[in-house]
Amino acid sequence: MSNSDIINQELGGKKIAKLPILAAIIALGGLVDAIYLTIHHYTAVPVPCGEAFDCGAVLTSQYATMFGIPIAIFGAIAYFTAFSLAILTAFGNRLTWMLFGIQVILMSLFTAWLLFLQKYRIEAFCQFCLISAAITLTLLIIALVSRFWRIH
Amino acid sequence: MNNQPTKNNNLLPLAIIGIVLLVAVVGGWLLYKTSTTTTTANKSNSSKTPGKPPVSENAAQLYASAPPGAQPPHLLGSPTATVTVEEFADFQCPTCAQKHPLAKEIISLYGSRIKFVFRQMPLTQAHPKAYDAAVASEAAGLQGKFWDMQNQLFANQQSWSVAPDHRKLFEEYAQKIGLDMQKFQNDMAGLSAKARVDADMQRARVLRIQSTPTFLINGNSVAFEQMNIESMRQLIDYELQKTQSSTQNQTGSGGGSANSNTSNSNMTNSNTTKNK
Repeated sequence: MSNSDIINQELGGKKIAKLPILAAIIALGGLVDAIYLTIHHYTAVPVPCGEAFDCGAVLTSQYATMFGIPIAIFGAIAYFTAFSLAILTAFGNRLTWMLFGIQVILMSLFTAWLLFLQKYRIEAFCQFCLISAAITLTLLIIALVSRFWRIH
Repeated sequence: MNNQPTKNNNLLPLAIIGIVLLVAVVGGWLLYKTSTTTTTANKSNSSKTPGKPPVSENAAQLYASAPPGAQPPHLLGSPTATVTVEEFADFQCPTCAQKHPLAKEIISLYGSRIKFVFRQMPLTQAHPKAYDAAVASEAAGLQGKFWDMQNQLFANQQSWSVAPDHRKLFEEYAQKIGLDMQKFQNDMAGLSAKARVDADMQRARVLRIQSTPTFLINGNSVAFEQMNIESMRQLIDYELQKTQSSTQNQTGSGGGSANSNTSNSNMTNSNTTKNK
């Protein structure tokens, strides 16, 4: 709570906070990536894949869907949520930055699981999944930095 | 999911969120529509413009001048057929195993009307066991049982690709298809099987094959969404017609009449594999 109070003070009403804006932009990148992968899933158009990767193996693996829904859709929803929370924070909402932190931690845990699957179960990577992992990691760093930066 | 602002009643953030949601949904939908219409357009036009010719004039030259790969190639059908279907695949790639029944279906449909060639393209960085699998199939090939081993490797992909000792499983498959085990083990270790794999990989590199499986029909790469029996038949029939009308010394066969019988019983054994 103290964290969002501090943000609110600093925001001074409608003044826009820089870190949440940065987070929102980055989350938007994740949203685009996830939408791209979702479309790929339903059209089966092959994604351009570098030589060190095997996107086909990853994106058509048994782990690419959960309850029959492509993981990319969960990703899109998660990034949209993170984006919305960051935007609301940027415009001075009290609670949303904390929710953003929780959301990003959950996303990071899920991302870690996906990375584990790619490394040890599928034994192949796809660069769009790695981009998504990097974006989530960046959001996590932003959330952590905002916490420790502003408190002292 | 997203919280309403409690204090600040400014509508701007909600407007931004709404716009992003709208753009995401509408943009995603439009992109989806365009990709599917391109797919269907490709399909319906394929009698005129078969395949996605990623091979432009330059690439056609490239195809003509690329290194030949392992000689003699693993070939089914007729070596003198005017239409060549060349598959580049990796035994550890799930999509390759998934498309293996398609390759078999095409071979049994067209028989000696086409020349079907299999090329090794193990993606060694992504698939640590793929190269060994390719060598195992070549070692079987040195005893004339390449296609049997190919079936075994694709059918059992999910077992050996996660097995700690995959070579042991390869030996089991070798035994199952009746190979001389001593020779198989020697060939696994020897250079001639590896040299064949390397020659195919060299060809794939020069042709800039990006992904597995890749099917080339007379040098034209088949788009992933066309890797189904209907589209492949259209593409092959088109090539058959084209070469027939230009050479005029083949017996006629109209588009879609792909019911020629096969002599390749090797490929049509029941070991199909399903990929989840």
